[in-house]
Amino acid sequence: MIAATQTRRRPNTLVALVLLALLLAMAIVVSAGVGAVHLSIKEVFRALLHPRESNDATVILFSLRLPRVLAAALAGAGLSATGVLFQGLFRNPLADPFVLGASGGAALGGALAVFLFPAFSFAGVSASAMLAFSGALLTMIIVWNLARQNARFAIENMLLAGFAVGTMLNAGTSAFELSQEAANPGARILAAWLYGQIGVAPWVQIAFTAIAMLLAILIALPLTRKLNTLALGEEYALQLGVRVHRVRLEVLIVGSLLTALAVSLGGLIGFVGLLVPHFLRLVLGPDHFRLLPVAAIGGAAFLVIADTVARTVVAPAELPVGILTAFIGGPAFLYLLNRRREVA
Amino acid sequence: MASIVQSNQLGFHYGRRPIFKDLSFGVESGEMVALLGANGVGKTTLLNVISGLLRADAGAITVDGTNVSEWERRELSRFVALVPQTLEIPFSFRVDEVVGQGRVPYLGKFGAMSAHDRDVVEHAMEAVDVTSLRDRVYTELSGGERQRVKIAIGLAQQPRVMLLDEPTQHLDIGRQIEVVNLLKRLNQSGITIFAAIHDLSIVRDNFRNAVLLMNQNCVAGRTEDVMKPSILEEAFRVDASAVRAFCEAELPLMETESTRECRRPRIERRWRLGRRR
Repeated sequence: MIAATQTRRRPNTLVALVLLALLLAMAIVVSAGVGAVHLSIKEVFRALLHPRESNDATVILFSLRLPRVLAAALAGAGLSATGVLFQGLFRNPLADPFVLGASGGAALGGALAVFLFPAFSFAGVSASAMLAFSGALLTMIIVWNLARQNARFAIENMLLAGFAVGTMLNAGTSAFELSQEAANPGARILAAWLYGQIGVAPWVQIAFTAIAMLLAILIALPLTRKLNTLALGEEYALQLGVRVHRVRLEVLIVGSLLTALAVSLGGLIGFVGLLVPHFLRLVLGPDHFRLLPVAAIGGAAFLVIADTVARTVVAPAELPVGILTAFIGGPAFLYLLNRRREVA
Repeated sequence: MASIVQSNQLGFHYGRRPIFKDLSFGVESGEMVALLGANGVGKTTLLNVISGLLRADAGAITVDGTNVSEWERRELSRFVALVPQTLEIPFSFRVDEVVGQGRVPYLGKFGAMSAHDRDVVEHAMEAVDVTSLRDRVYTELSGGERQRVKIAIGLAQQPRVMLLDEPTQHLDIGRQIEVVNLLKRLNQSGITIFAAIHDLSIVRDNFRNAVLLMNQNCVAGRTEDVMKPSILEEAFRVDASAVRAFCEAELPLMETESTRECRRPRIERRWRLGRRR
């Protein structure tokens, strides 16, 4: 029967979550061993179990490898979760924090803060984090308003608005960086940032980011059910009693926060928020409530693997992972765009 | 007794363009009323005002005796269900997930469905005969199937009043009959039906009452009184002879419930009572 082929059977979300968590754990262990000094899986486990021993392996692992691998995991989780949220809000599976310009806004905000208020922090949150968040949120509000016409989002409007705003922001970051470079050697960090290079993050930042992301995702979970209703259209959601304006603002805030946290760790890494949710949606169905936590874990695993490849493929040099995700994500994005045109 | 939906000197305009001026009519509880009018005359606008999506500029619409603007939003969503003309869903949600959205006005803060909610969704799918489609993806359904799914969302809201925006549009004659018969069954179970319909023969054969929008106002009453040649001529700006030929045709253009045996899914008592939790 034809009907049988169109039926959607969906695997258990919890099973998917556990499997992806195992994949993530494995990827972290393997990735932590890869580098100029190779550590076998056995050595990695040994160092993890005896962190107080001071030998080469523990030093490499705890001061070089793990901070970077965990930074990749967190950046991937944040970008992928944001993808789910923005796709629901824009009612479009092509929405992604990079494509929409949110990442660019966070990068510019973060860059400004690095040079202008390098030492400022409030309640443990650095100026860089705060400005990155403000940059992402401001960008999203602008893009959202440009993309929307007659209460609906034309796909062209969304992509063009995101492209134009994102390009301007990145140009701004570049210009700012060049103007600072002569006087300040820190500018070289920003150059890597623009290509999406994951650095060795301080442990404090990793801990802070992990907690903040967990909270953001917990806050976003009740919103995901509203995004399911919003899939029927804004007017329909209003008619069913959803406070659309409030939900929209909340999603933009949480998404911008997640983007800012991810960009602070890895800079402009594109298409993760598009690839991971898209693949998981094919497997698990479009329910945003189920998708959000799975996409976070899946995104973490994906970026850890991608960063490992990026680190090794042109060894001893390193490829910024953003370049790799652009190579994978760009064609996938074009394929999806083309397929959607055929449907429409 | 006040009508369940009452329009009192309703005024509405988009920017400078006036749509309604002093529009007054009533839909009685338990009736099945057709909403007629030429393209662009404001049928969709009127349904949106009744369901609280648009605000009246003058006058008021009352639902169950209370001004729409004074209803609590979720309460109104449980009393009035609007079945829109088109429903496009960008993701591959299954039919049961789509129909489940009709429960949103009843759900708590975290939006989790209870066993009772799932029960209501089951009955809503049963009532419109889409239970067999439950695992299918909405975007892959045919026009007739989509129409029934949309009505099922409305039913899951357990409304007393169902507003439908051209539920027979783009359907073949068989699917049109299916939908009209479905509306009649829902009406018999106690839901007041107010449906915008373009096909005058469907209205003539199935709706006892009609509201015809024209000249920013309306003609309302029994269908045969509303659908007089002189009135239709003016409302739709058509040639007099064409309208006369249509109005004088004796044969019903459609089969109806009484002339045709059709599948008739059991409708639960809860619809009949319009019970609300």
